Amino acid sequence: MKLAALTANDNYFENFEVGAVYKHARGKTVEPLENVLFTNLVMNTAAGHFDAHVMKSHPAGQRVVYGGVTIGIVIGLAMQDTGENGIRELGLDAIRLTRSVFHGDTLYALSEVLEKKDSTRDDAGEILFRHYGINQNNEQVFQGDRRVLIKKRSAWIER
Amino acid sequence: MDPGQHRRGNFRGMTTGDSTIAEVLSRAKPWKKGRFYEEQPDGEERTHHWGRTFTETDSILFSTLTLSFNPIYTNREYARQLGYRDLVINPLLVFNTALGLSVEDNSEVGGAFLGVEKLHYHMDVYPGDTMVAKSLTKAKRLTSKHKNMGIITWHTEGWNQREELIIAFDRSNLVSFGDIW
Repeated sequence: MKLAALTANDNYFENFEVGAVYKHARGKTVEPLENVLFTNLVMNTAAGHFDAHVMKSHPAGQRVVYGGVTIGIVIGLAMQDTGENGIRELGLDAIRLTRSVFHGDTLYALSEVLEKKDSTRDDAGEILFRHYGINQNNEQVFQGDRRVLIKKRSAWIER
Repeated sequence: MDPGQHRRGNFRGMTTGDSTIAEVLSRAKPWKKGRFYEEQPDGEERTHHWGRTFTETDSILFSTLTLSFNPIYTNREYARQLGYRDLVINPLLVFNTALGLSVEDNSEVGGAFLGVEKLHYHMDVYPGDTMVAKSLTKAKRLTSKHKNMGIITWHTEGWNQREELIIAFDRSNLVSFGDIW
């Protein structure tokens, strides 16, 4: 199996420049498929994410999407471009959930390159991205910083 | 009359079962879940219920449905060639599960999930690994924006079956006061 054939060749460590901002191609409409499935799958017991009846008498009037699903989808929408050639996810910081997300909302992701640095490995470097999540009305629902170890093209393109 | 309406009317009519339920409901005591703001002492350390074994299916489902396209989560041979011993469990699933396991103790009677700080992935997680979550109640504060809720920040950790730390983060959430009920 030739590894370099399985991922794109425009998202190695060398391809990113500090200050660049990208809008990722795909959006995703959040359905009970994601919200209810992942809320229950990770054993999050807060019924406001999966009991439509009780939420009728809540100010929201409907189930609210679990913030962890919003984080997962926004970072997911950015992943092909900013992590497909990632070797390891290192961490997250300054995650903000700035607006409620409901079933039927469509999320899109943007990413900004904040920082690049060498790592302890010769074949990979660390990149700090700031991801932004927006809904169908261009309203912000998410912001967060993500540090990831990404392959260096020079070390991996022939493998 | 619309025959569908007639049928629904019949099904919605009072039955003997409904009167049994009305009587049982009148005697039922709500089995409370979650802890209010004032029930969570500052500095408290707690191990959360259940634990969770990660399966390959969990991670592939999570990775594909969130479009989290890195083959280390979905292609075992690729993951091995990058030095992993198996498919890698998606770290955002690990995060979500540690958070999920903490909800009943921490934020079930809460309002909005506000944010996460200083999240570190300390160790790779593989199919078959089991995680137990623990939290420290790190900070509590009142906010002028909300009359009925305060903000709590917990430091939450996930530990595997070998007692190794796999993830740690701080999470903040609005939590309801008990006296509003």
